[in-house]
Amino acid sequence: MKRYFRELSVAAALALLLLVLALVAPSFFSPQPLLSRLTAQTPSLVVAVGMALVIICRQIDISVGSQFGVCAVVAGLLAAAGLPLPVVLFTSIGSGMVMGALNGWLVAGLGLPSIVVTLATMVTWQEALRLFQQGKFVNLPPGTQWFGLRQLGGQTALICAALVLLALAAWAMKNLAAGRFIYAVGTDAEAARLAGINPRRTTLGAFTLLGALTGLAAVMNVVQSPQVQPTCGAGLELKVIAACVVGGVAVNGGRGNLWGVFAGLLLLAMINPALTSLHVEAHWEKAIQGLVILLAVVADGLRTRRSRR
Amino acid sequence: MNTFLKRLLARPEAILFFVLVAEIVFFSVAGRNFNTSDNVANIVRHSAEIGMLALVMMPIILTGGIDLSVGSLLGLCAVIFGVFTHEWKMAMPLAAALTLGVGAMAGGVNAALITVLRLPPLIVTLGTFSLFRGLAEAITKGTMTYRDFSPEFIALGRERWMGLPLQGWLFILIAIGIAVLVHRTTFGRAFRAIGFSPEGSRYAGLPVQRRIAFTYVLAGIVAALAAIVFTARLRQARADAGTGYELQAITAVVLGGTSIFGGVGTVGGTLLGIASVAVLTTGLKLIPAIALAGIGSELGSLLTGALLILALAGGTLAKSLAVRRSRRQSHAAPKPTITT
Amino acid sequence: MKRSTFLTSLLAFALVTACDKKSDSSSAGNSSDGKKLTIALLPKSKGNQYFATVEKGARAAAAELGVELIYDGPTNTDPAKQNEIVEGWVNYGVNVIAAACENREGISGALKAAQEKGIKIVTYDSDTTPDARSFFVNQATAQGIGETLMDTAAKLCGEEGEFAIITATLTAANMTEWRKNIEARLAAKYPKMKLVTTKPCDDQKDKAQAEATNILNAYPNLKCIMAICSPAVPGAAEAVKQAGKAGVVKVLGLGLPSENRQYVKDGVTQAVILWKVEDLGYLTIQAAVAAAKGTLKTGDKTFTSGKLGAMEIQDTDIILGKPFVFTKENIDQFQF
Repeated sequence: MKRYFRELSVAAALALLLLVLALVAPSFFSPQPLLSRLTAQTPSLVVAVGMALVIICRQIDISVGSQFGVCAVVAGLLAAAGLPLPVVLFTSIGSGMVMGALNGWLVAGLGLPSIVVTLATMVTWQEALRLFQQGKFVNLPPGTQWFGLRQLGGQTALICAALVLLALAAWAMKNLAAGRFIYAVGTDAEAARLAGINPRRTTLGAFTLLGALTGLAAVMNVVQSPQVQPTCGAGLELKVIAACVVGGVAVNGGRGNLWGVFAGLLLLAMINPALTSLHVEAHWEKAIQGLVILLAVVADGLRTRRSRR
Repeated sequence: MNTFLKRLLARPEAILFFVLVAEIVFFSVAGRNFNTSDNVANIVRHSAEIGMLALVMMPIILTGGIDLSVGSLLGLCAVIFGVFTHEWKMAMPLAAALTLGVGAMAGGVNAALITVLRLPPLIVTLGTFSLFRGLAEAITKGTMTYRDFSPEFIALGRERWMGLPLQGWLFILIAIGIAVLVHRTTFGRAFRAIGFSPEGSRYAGLPVQRRIAFTYVLAGIVAALAAIVFTARLRQARADAGTGYELQAITAVVLGGTSIFGGVGTVGGTLLGIASVAVLTTGLKLIPAIALAGIGSELGSLLTGALLILALAGGTLAKSLAVRRSRRQSHAAPKPTITT
Repeated sequence: MKRSTFLTSLLAFALVTACDKKSDSSSAGNSSDGKKLTIALLPKSKGNQYFATVEKGARAAAAELGVELIYDGPTNTDPAKQNEIVEGWVNYGVNVIAAACENREGISGALKAAQEKGIKIVTYDSDTTPDARSFFVNQATAQGIGETLMDTAAKLCGEEGEFAIITATLTAANMTEWRKNIEARLAAKYPKMKLVTTKPCDDQKDKAQAEATNILNAYPNLKCIMAICSPAVPGAAEAVKQAGKAGVVKVLGLGLPSENRQYVKDGVTQAVILWKVEDLGYLTIQAAVAAAKGTLKTGDKTFTSGKLGAMEIQDTDIILGKPFVFTKENIDQFQF
């Protein structure tokens, strides 16, 4: 109980928000908009899982938004060329892996700081994509949306896929050697090395996995509508990093729980809909979003301060 | 002279210095009207605000911290300055002074959260990044723009003195101030010590948290000053001022050889970082072939990204080469053990 | 050591100022020396299909007239970027600057400074203050856009009921202008209609979809969503489609036919409002060249522009034509 205090308190904050909504704006819970909203969050959730691994490994990746855009356009162009969906899916994941591995190689191989490396790759992919696509939407052939299923089926499939992935990753982080390696390297890379873990390979793996998940998430985003916007990844990095932080992942590595990330993402994602349902004016939204992030970290700070004394 | 040159070449900033010289030579030849006083004035005007933010970001990064909120704070201070001058009808100097005070307070919020609650700077300033921009939007309801500033005020963004735009002089003053603070005072040398080893600095008797707090408050004040300069240059104050400036400031600092982990870096290097990015992005647009192809802006960002990676990788490579060489030397002639 | 770096950076600065010389004056604002004219075209933002289409039309005109065309613009939302690009062009020595102004007053200072150097200024798409340019290629004024949007929305809703607006960002200057005009028209002509909320989408289709979903949920009596930035139109349409309210809640907005074709055909989006974008770029370059050569002067009543033929001039506005409403019936005729 005490060990998961942070994750539970985020879940409690989410529950409180939902309770207020249930009392003030019960229509918030009518099934249709709820399903659409949750489906729209699935790509972010998949990227957030990968981001959590990288942050637990004591690194950070701010290029995921640009990677997401590149993968989405690659997927969109292939689908528009009439290639079957599995080919599209694997090419997108592959492109993500290549970009993730490049970050990983620069960080783990050359020993460069991840925040700077990914700042540079963020700009590079983003501008290259702008030069290549000029902002043009990619129109997808009919039958791509929802994998050719009906809307309800497609949404259910996406939500289930994201949840299964989350559960698998959470299980793996706890029970597989590779998962424990990530915690070990994030806590103390030198100690991990002495214990026989290869910190470089672990870091490279975390970045590559994040890239692959970003590629997967891009496809999950592409199939939700009949067209792809090349700038669809803008701001994604801040959103998922904030979700990780609010969900209790420590930025100096070694600590974090994927279910906490899930709760953090839901909490942040529900603020805007909640404010609309409560008829709060739009110019307050950004300030409230910032306040929630700050409150989460302040609460954490106060707790650790008390426990230090 | 020979040893001076050798020592110079051994510094990571030396590479950047040659990059800058190469840029200037190249654009002088290939660019159109690059070597003109108008172009120099343009470069100075367009990079003064980001440069100021980079200068105060440098001590923060030197202590091992980071501040993502400076761009948003620039926006908030611009809006508050507009409120002071237009809604409350304050005199310009008073409004400016109070805006600097607001900047100091906002920097104080960051400082308090980071030093009193011991929260990671990345997260705290990620939160205030949204909060400050959000407050700016809330104050103006997003739509309000303050314009019609007095001509004397606008002159700050427009006029030159001895050929250099006024904000350039302001920038030089801040640069000298920060350089003296960081390199010439015991107060400021603590920043490097803290970044190198916070625990060690504490045992050495340094007031670590107070010094760290100072860097964030200073950043707040200078961000407010940059907001005023920005307002004078654009002749208007609106909530979107300074969007994205934080990343450009960090880019300049890191490019200038300051380690993102703290403990290593010089103000001179930061100046070189600011200048090489500013010259690169301006110069590219003056090359006729690039201008006619319509890719000036994108190419500028792309090459800045590439330069950042190359500078970092070059620095690391040079270091590992040096380590290997010194290892070889130490094999040949083992270092004498130091006795006291 | 530290001093040496500080010194080197001072040295670098000195180097820049040392090789300083006066601007090459022959290139600035001089069009009669037989050299090719250089026209600079400034979009509100780059990497945006609307302005890519403008560029296409502009390049066609530039090739026809044998002039050089420079195309550059902001790649991010930094409000100072347009001014910086204009100031760079003044120094580069272009003959004409054709600008789509993100910020009416904000850019006027930079444009006036360019005029003082003898550079002709033409604006297109959205105007600056009239004293900072010679001509405005007018495809629609802020007032015209606001009124067309509001009138179309009123017609779709039967002049009564609630509607909501989705904009790019709350701070975008031109959209603030449009919103003002929408609200003025609403107050003047449609007392039974009510604007319930205005939400930003950061020029993101997906965010527009999320906001539209929220709005549909929070305002069950909503009759219409008005999307005033182009990515928001398909975003809002997708939200209405997923909510199963196609046809019940009307969608209209400013957007490109190619981005909205399917939704219009399916009856989710009722009206997309725009002008002939490629013609706008073409006409802008035609006018810019004519203004530089002196064949287009203040006081002219018509302007003959290449393949488009004679265009009407009102005061200093060259009129491209009224905004065009794309509907199910005519959208297939337009390919941009």
